[in-house]
This record gives sequence, C-alpha cells and structure tokens, in this order.
Amino acid sequence: MRCWPLITFLFCFSLLSAQNKPLLYNVDDLPQSLMLNPGTQIDFIGHVGLPFLSQIHFSAGTSGVSLHDIFRNDGTNINTRIREAMHSMTSYDHFTANEQVEIISLGWKLDKRNYLSTGIYQELDFFSYFPKDLAILVNEGNANYINDTFDFSQAAFTGEILTVYHLGLNHKFDEQLTVGVRGKLYSGIFNVESTSNTGTFSTITTPQGPNKYRHIVENMDVLVNTSGFASVKDMNVQNATAELLKRSFFGGNVGLGLDLGLSYVVTEQFVASASVQDIGLMFQRDDVESYHYYGSYQTDGLEPLFPDSGSTIPYWDDFENQVKTNLVDKTYNEAYITWRPAKFNLAIEYGFGQAYLPCNYLTVNKVRFMNQIGMNLAGVLRPRGLVYAFTTYWDKKLTDKQRFRIAHTLDDYSLANFGLMYSVTFNKFNIYLAANNLLGFRNLAKARSTSVQLGLQMVFKDL
Amino acid sequence: MSLIPGINKVVLCLACCVVLTGCVKDIDLDQAEEIGLSPDINVDLLIYDVDYNDFYDATGTFQPIIKDVVRLEFLDDDYIQDDLTEVEFFFSHSNTFPQEFSHTIRFLSNAGVEQLSIPYTIAAGSSGNPEITEHTEPIEEAQIHLIRNSIQMEVTIEAHSPPTSGELEFASTGLFKFDF
Repeated sequence: MRCWPLITFLFCFSLLSAQNKPLLYNVDDLPQSLMLNPGTQIDFIGHVGLPFLSQIHFSAGTSGVSLHDIFRNDGTNINTRIREAMHSMTSYDHFTANEQVEIISLGWKLDKRNYLSTGIYQELDFFSYFPKDLAILVNEGNANYINDTFDFSQAAFTGEILTVYHLGLNHKFDEQLTVGVRGKLYSGIFNVESTSNTGTFSTITTPQGPNKYRHIVENMDVLVNTSGFASVKDMNVQNATAELLKRSFFGGNVGLGLDLGLSYVVTEQFVASASVQDIGLMFQRDDVESYHYYGSYQTDGLEPLFPDSGSTIPYWDDFENQVKTNLVDKTYNEAYITWRPAKFNLAIEYGFGQAYLPCNYLTVNKVRFMNQIGMNLAGVLRPRGLVYAFTTYWDKKLTDKQRFRIAHTLDDYSLANFGLMYSVTFNKFNIYLAANNLLGFRNLAKARSTSVQLGLQMVFKDL
Repeated sequence: MSLIPGINKVVLCLACCVVLTGCVKDIDLDQAEEIGLSPDINVDLLIYDVDYNDFYDATGTFQPIIKDVVRLEFLDDDYIQDDLTEVEFFFSHSNTFPQEFSHTIRFLSNAGVEQLSIPYTIAAGSSGNPEITEHTEPIEEAQIHLIRNSIQMEVTIEAHSPPTSGELEFASTGLFKFDF
C-alpha cells in the first residue's frame, strides 16, 4: 500500500505528452523490450517467436479531432461539424498511424554477458500535420478570407512501408550496467514525404486598382517525394497491393539504421535506462518520382486591349504561359534520402517487494522485485520536432509466470490514457496483450488514440 | 497469497473485456455520403483602361463601338461543368469621360452563340472627378447552365458621341460557388 502515494504523485505531475509502446518498455521477460531498448535488463536465455504472431502492433492517433466529432449522430449537418473541427484544430495537430508485424523473432544467450537477438519485421508508419490553411481554402474557398494568407508550409507529411532486418546484442558489462546495440537493414516498399514546403497564397484587396482583388502566390516551393509509387499509381488496388507485397523482401530501396540503449542500476531498487531507436536513413533510388511546384506569381485579371480591325489576341493562352513560366510544375526521377523517424526513451524504475525462487522461499532470486513503478519519457522525431509521451506505470509480477502493467500516459491525444499489459507464460509459451487508452475502448469513435500490441512466443528462462 | 489469484482474474477479465469489447458507437458512418466541399471562390476576371484614343481608328475615324473577346478556358473545366452552383459577377467602372457609355458584357459559347447578356449604362464623370458605376449580376442555380455553356466573355463599349478626353477604367470579379 505504501506505493500508492508515490503513484498518485507521479500521475499528478506528469506534464508531458504520446505513445511509444510504453507498456512493453523494460518488461524484462518479454523479448519485445529488446526492440525498444537493446540495452534493457532481461531475465530469459532464449526466445523464438511464432512467425507473424510474436508481435502484432497497431496504433493510431489524432490530436485534434475524433471520429465522433465528425460522425456523431445528433441531427446536425456533417459538413458543419467538419468545418467546426477544421477551425478548432491548429496546424500543429497531427494524424498518425503505425503498424508493425514481427515476421521472425528469435534470440539466445551467447554467454554470461551477451544475448543475441535477431529477426524481421514489417512496418507501416504514417504521419501528417493538419494543413489547416489549405484545408480551409479547399473547403471554404477564399471569399471569406480576403487579405488572409494561406500558408503552404503547413503541409508536412511522411509515410512509409518497409521491411526491417535486424541483429542486436545485449551486453552486460557488470552488475550495474547493461548496454545494447541493434543494427538494422531497411528494405523499403513504399515511401512518400513532403516536409519542407514554403510559400503562401493570398487574395488581397487593391483599392488603388487595377482590379478589386489581387491574387498572389509568393515563394511557393512544394516538393512531394515518392518511391515505390510511380509503378503502381496506374494500377487498380488489387494489382497495386500484389505488387507491394512482392517487394516485401528485398524488393525495393535499402537503408541502414541503429538502435542504442543502456540500463544502469543506480541502487538496488532504482534502475535508469535510455535508448534511441531507428537512427537511420533510407536511400530512395528505385521507382522514385518527385513532384515539385515552385515560383511566385500575381495577377489582377486578364486585360483586353480592344485591337483595331477585329483581330483577336489569345489572352488566355498568354495568361497560361505566364502562369506556367512563373509557377513551375516539374516531375523528377532523382534519388533522394529520407531519415527514419528516430525515437528515444528515458526511464527510471523503482522496484520493491523482492522476488523469491518458487522452490525456495528463503533464497533471493538475484535482485528482482515483484513490483516496479516507473516513469518513461518517449519521443518520436517528426518533421517539426519531437512528439512526446510521458508515461507512469506500475508493473506487478503476480507470479513467476504472470505479470501485468498499468500505465497512464500523457500525450498530444489524451490526458486520460490508461493502458494495461498482461503477460502469461504456460510452460515456455508466452502470450502477451497490451492496450493503451482503455477508456477509449468503451467507444473507439470518441478515442483520439488507441494502441494494441499482442504476441505469441516461446521464452526460455534459466530458473 | 490469497489476494493474488483474485487480482489475476480481475486483471485478465479487465484486459479481455475492455479490449475485446471495444466498440464504435453513437456515430453514423453513412453520413460520409453527405460530405461535400462548398468553396466560394472570388477571382479576378477582366480589367481594362481605355481613353478617347481607343474610340478612333488609325485613320482618325470615330468608332462608336469598341469590343474585344477573351476566352475563359476554365469555364470548360470539369469543376465548372459538374459542381458550379452559383455565380455572382461584379463589374465596376471609373469614368472621367464627361459622357455616358452603353456597356454590354456577353458570355458566348465556343461557336460564338450568345448565352448571357448583361447590358447597363456607365454614368458620365468629369475630369478629376471620376464617376463610379458598379453593377452586380447574380446568376442563380436555374441559370447556371448559361455559364457552363460559355467559354468566351465579350466586352462592348458604345460611345454615343465622339469623346474628346477622359479615361474609363474597368474592374471585374466573379464569385464562383461550388458544391463538390
């Protein structure tokens, strides 16, 4: 019971925000914790995941609006609700979706200090800021926004599908320090990114003439890079899906990445840990197509010149040529480089309630605790900076085979994000299920985020 | 120890119940069919600035009527043909000629057939004291086919007597309302 004041304290003073599998971070008997921190402390000597089932992860979030905000059935007009939602959001609100499926996952203890883990997983990651100005311009037009500026830089999004081959080493330096490293080879299936756009569009009044308004596109520079898209853009959905699946294994572009991590036993009960994941880049060279729009232009309208002798002047053609000359639209097929969305974790845990070997209640099982409370600050690097999540959790080992974790996360999506992880092992067969934002599951339409991880695997321990 | 099996069951039940019974309710996704975009777009159309010289040809002969035609190719685009619901034209003249003009704007089809004619009179002004004449022409949904059938905008200015001095400035905009 003594832990409750501390838990309450941690919950009350959690001031940051998001979502990075905090329910699996530092879970020392789940191999997936090695994917979040290759330097985590582990208590198993080997693992083999069931192919395609050792981890199925899905998360989605929207910081500004929920499905219920748009589609609620209250008799009001849906287009009015969309308009209200657009105005309530800011250009820093964002939408995100992430999916991971472990295809192969295995690992084994090399010696007393080293644990090797390897595997293959497939990942989909999509992130987009809400381009408020452009959305309003498309939805409402410029008529009510004369003298306002629509900013193209608000359009920033990334999306990728890739297969990741990885090999990691967890090395225990001594009783206090454990470090880890994981090398990753990325095989890109699909990529789209548009992150450094600039420029504005405005319609201003011009009391001094020559017309009532002037339309101005200023310093526009919009670039959309794609790879793996050009060859499928003209296909139907079925053929495109088949083509993307064909690229799942070494079928597209390649990249390299690195995970680093450590955990440090500060005192017997306090453990600090840190990790960075996906410090890496992709070399997009194959099937690339980029769309570039740039330039400046302004117009007050077309000007007829009333020529003599009834001759005609191609005013429209001249106007189109001016637009094309000044607002350039180009398509490239040049290689480009993308950075993976790097992630970091910082955590500190406090353990209490020492664990004992099941066969001998008088022998301390190393320094293990039945309870841990901890704090985890996680971040994901997105086009305009880090998106944070701050999680506080209570991790409880029910028995040597069962544990659960209750967590509360503050992020951009929710202030009441409670998560639960449950892991149970039958003999050596482990099943785990983790879900975030449990309150949102009562009605997912109202939830601004949700996240689920589940997996089946063999975990071998040296008891 | 007796507490642990109890907690175990509670946790398991909670996890299963909450996650497996997660649902989506109080929404109607069929409303997606009602989603539409309704932008109102203000665009500049034509401008001109004529003086008395424009009413005389190269030989100095008075031309009571001057006119010109501008193709507006965007009127043939799909978004105009399919989604345009209303248009409101705004025409403004600043006249320093000490005389009235008859002004006609006609929208013509590709074959030159008149679809819509907007005639009005430009009030006389004076030097240093321009007279402003504004005309707004709403085109309701019932008439919108006239705009959809058009692709040329013809401007005609008729002087009722030979002008000797002055300047006539014209500004025009269109408020195009869409329902996508």
